[in-house]
Amino acid sequence: MRIEGSRQLAAPRETVFQRLMDPQSLADALPGCEKLELQPDGSYHTTLKVGIGSIKGIYQGRIEIVDPVPPESFRMKVEGKGAGGFLKGEGRVSLAAQNAETLISYSGEAQIGGMMASVGQRMMRVAAQQIAHQFFEAFARHLALTLPSTSLPEPDDSRRRNSS
Amino acid sequence: MSPKLLGERIKRKEDPRLIQGRSHYVDDIQLCEMVYLSFVRSPYAHAKIKSIQAEAARKMPGVLAIYAGKGLEGRLGLIPCAAGLEGLKVPDHPCLALGRVRYVGEPVAVVVANGRYQAADAAAKVEVDYDPLPAVTDMDKAVAGSPLVHEQFGDNIAFVAKLEGGDWKAVEAEPSVKVIKQRLINQRLAPLSMETRGVVASYSPGEDTLTVWSSTQIPHLLKTQLAVMTGVDEARVRVIAPEVGGAFGSKLNVYAEEGVACFVSRQLGKPVKWIETRRENLLATIHGRDQIDDLEIYFQPDGKVVGLKCHILADLGAYHQLLTPAIPTLTALMILGCYNIPAVWVETTGVFTNKMSTDAYRGAGRPEATYVIERVMDMVARELNLDPVDVRLKNFPPPGKDVVLATGVSYDTANYQKTLKKVLTLSGYKKLRGEQARLRKKGKYLGIGLSTYVEICAMGPSSRMPAGGWESGTVRVEPTGKVTVLSGTSPHGQGEETSFAQIVAEELGVPYDDVTVYHGDTNQVPMGIGTFGSRTTAVGGTAIYHAARRIKKKMARLASHKLGAKPGEIVFRDGKVESQDGSKSMKFGDVVGEAYFAKQLPPGVEPGLVENYVFEPPNYTYPFGAHVAVVEVDSETGEVSLRNYFAVDDCGRILNPMLVDGQIHGGLAQGIGQALWEEHVYDENGQLLTGTLMDCAAPRAHQFCWFETANTETRTPVNPLGVKGVGEAGTIGSTPAMVNAVLDALQPFGVRHMDMPLKPEKIWRIVTRGASETA
Repeated sequence: MRIEGSRQLAAPRETVFQRLMDPQSLADALPGCEKLELQPDGSYHTTLKVGIGSIKGIYQGRIEIVDPVPPESFRMKVEGKGAGGFLKGEGRVSLAAQNAETLISYSGEAQIGGMMASVGQRMMRVAAQQIAHQFFEAFARHLALTLPSTSLPEPDDSRRRNSS
Repeated sequence: MSPKLLGERIKRKEDPRLIQGRSHYVDDIQLCEMVYLSFVRSPYAHAKIKSIQAEAARKMPGVLAIYAGKGLEGRLGLIPCAAGLEGLKVPDHPCLALGRVRYVGEPVAVVVANGRYQAADAAAKVEVDYDPLPAVTDMDKAVAGSPLVHEQFGDNIAFVAKLEGGDWKAVEAEPSVKVIKQRLINQRLAPLSMETRGVVASYSPGEDTLTVWSSTQIPHLLKTQLAVMTGVDEARVRVIAPEVGGAFGSKLNVYAEEGVACFVSRQLGKPVKWIETRRENLLATIHGRDQIDDLEIYFQPDGKVVGLKCHILADLGAYHQLLTPAIPTLTALMILGCYNIPAVWVETTGVFTNKMSTDAYRGAGRPEATYVIERVMDMVARELNLDPVDVRLKNFPPPGKDVVLATGVSYDTANYQKTLKKVLTLSGYKKLRGEQARLRKKGKYLGIGLSTYVEICAMGPSSRMPAGGWESGTVRVEPTGKVTVLSGTSPHGQGEETSFAQIVAEELGVPYDDVTVYHGDTNQVPMGIGTFGSRTTAVGGTAIYHAARRIKKKMARLASHKLGAKPGEIVFRDGKVESQDGSKSMKFGDVVGEAYFAKQLPPGVEPGLVENYVFEPPNYTYPFGAHVAVVEVDSETGEVSLRNYFAVDDCGRILNPMLVDGQIHGGLAQGIGQALWEEHVYDENGQLLTGTLMDCAAPRAHQFCWFETANTETRTPVNPLGVKGVGEAGTIGSTPAMVNAVLDALQPFGVRHMDMPLKPEKIWRIVTRGASETA
């Protein structure tokens, strides 16, 4: 399953990159994130509460940031499992400076298994895109709140831009 | 006169209780102190099990015990495979995975709890740590050898079987012979019975008896296997198949969950229940079909097919269930259909993949054969620009003669020309062709599809069946004159409580309502094989018929003794046992009284009126038929709508036309479903993508038209009733008729073949591509 998208964020590239590397900022923005802990090996251990259609559950996972090139790009490895099955994915996130703003693009390949695959395959891509959308929505809000010079983004406007 | 019963449209005895919901299925069995099972299943198609942590699950409310593969090792036997093919590789198949999982849905652990929901909640808390391994789901890749499903075998090939006949040198030397090569894919399907599987196992430690209620087609075979697996003395095991809500072959098996339920009940000394969820049913109940057929068709310019070569790749899944490897061998056996093709060459390769096992699903190997040969006839017709009717007539053997085909199969009495002629008349075939030509000019695409099938059923002579092919029947006239019939078959929708009562009531001249048929309880029915392979009436019904004849013989002896007549002149009619001219007559009930009160029995005659008969069929039977499907294909959306369906089937003598129609209707729905909509899909990682009823696209009533059915009756000499079997005919005949119809509609677009299911998207692509190419 391929997931990709992009999002314009009203903050400079360096700030966006730094916040994406910050566990607290990520935990605040990640939908259903109950826990995000930095491990000694540099990866994160996370507990996510996710509901996709009829498959609701708590998933234990591991997120690893690989090959960070501040402030341009990093790769991300994600593994998770729960009663609804398992998820394994790898993706690339790149940040492009656009004046004072940042265009963030992500693309990746995810493999899902168990009940999630057999029951949720049809909606999984849409659900994954939606989770990504919710994340960036929240992340943008988080940036806005913590960077006094910027204003809150217009939710409707951002959805339109993200819908490609 | 007593009303004639055989051949009449008699309403099913079963229906009132079924329609009113007053019947009892496995899930309706409630026993004191019953506990429930929930299985932990693998989410991986192939993985090593590193560890299983059950502490958190064990602390959940109501949890009594948790078992994994190691806990069963040496204490519960392996899942049996009865198919005995030469050189067959049989992997160990434990009830709970040991060290490694090989398909998504494979049971890894089981949780026992006081409540069903408690068991399910706790199962979700069992943590299994897997080390994922690469999976193989594509048969070509599996044959190429990597990754391996079972490392110990060194390859993924379970068996290779060859079948060859005829003079190939002559075929290849003939210069006028043309050859078409084509690959046909027969997709994987889910059998989808309305009632999922389920089992209740109750071990009584005091009596040392094990009673099992299971939604099964084979209670007697299951009893033997469970005794072997659990180590309980077989005389202390009783299996009961209560009401069974459909099976279609998927319950002709011995499953892990049945073994585990017995094991757990014995461990805990409590009755145990497991009812399969629909998700489990789609994942872990056997699947059907899944074959690739690579064909070489040798034919002459006049449409005569002179040779057929076929490489069959059969996806067996990861393990063998009861008959898994045997199913594709039936495809090879029946690959020539009802055509006198002088040369045949078939190589069947059974392939292991990381998927659920395939096994018998309605038709079991024969729908694949019929699909091959009926597509062959149409491809040859298309290639030579001949009418598919003419190509079929060219290749039929002459009517009424027994023929031995190049496959070595000898079919019983048939007249393929007659059924074809009848269906052409019924459908107005010539008119349809005219309409088709007119509509094409208007840019509308009508398709007319034919299938003239023959199938093999009434399974079967014991020499050809792994566990014997006989069937038992018992008739007991009770002291009050009511009649009890016991059958070793185990119907689950076929209506044998009706047809067997018809047979017995007609033979004994007693009211139909006085006859009650029982089946499915191994403590009640002395011996049995079960219901599958369209055998119930032809084999089980014949046993009942013979048992009733034995009752008559004894009653005639009793009556003649009492009346002073010869046993040979006694007839049974209108509830009386009397001499031919009626001058010497006794009431049926009075003769029964003689048997039970035993005051004046003739010398050497035992008291009572119970007779058993075990019928050993001398051969299979070969029902046949001709179907015409009429479809309309919307060239803008690619959607196929079924306009008419005509089915003429010859299942031998018909005992109850309503039951025959019912079987044909249901069979057609499943066969048409395969052609147009159904498929059970795994992705390349071995994940099942069609795990809900919405995804695997089971058809619904509104997607069908009214089925026009008719019959010819060519009695078989194989049994005295002359019946052949009809349970699978509709499925076997309809799939190729539908595909032939859709491809006939698409003829202007120049497409020779498309693989099933013929979903709108596929057709739309062909139509738009074809249109752009011709533009």
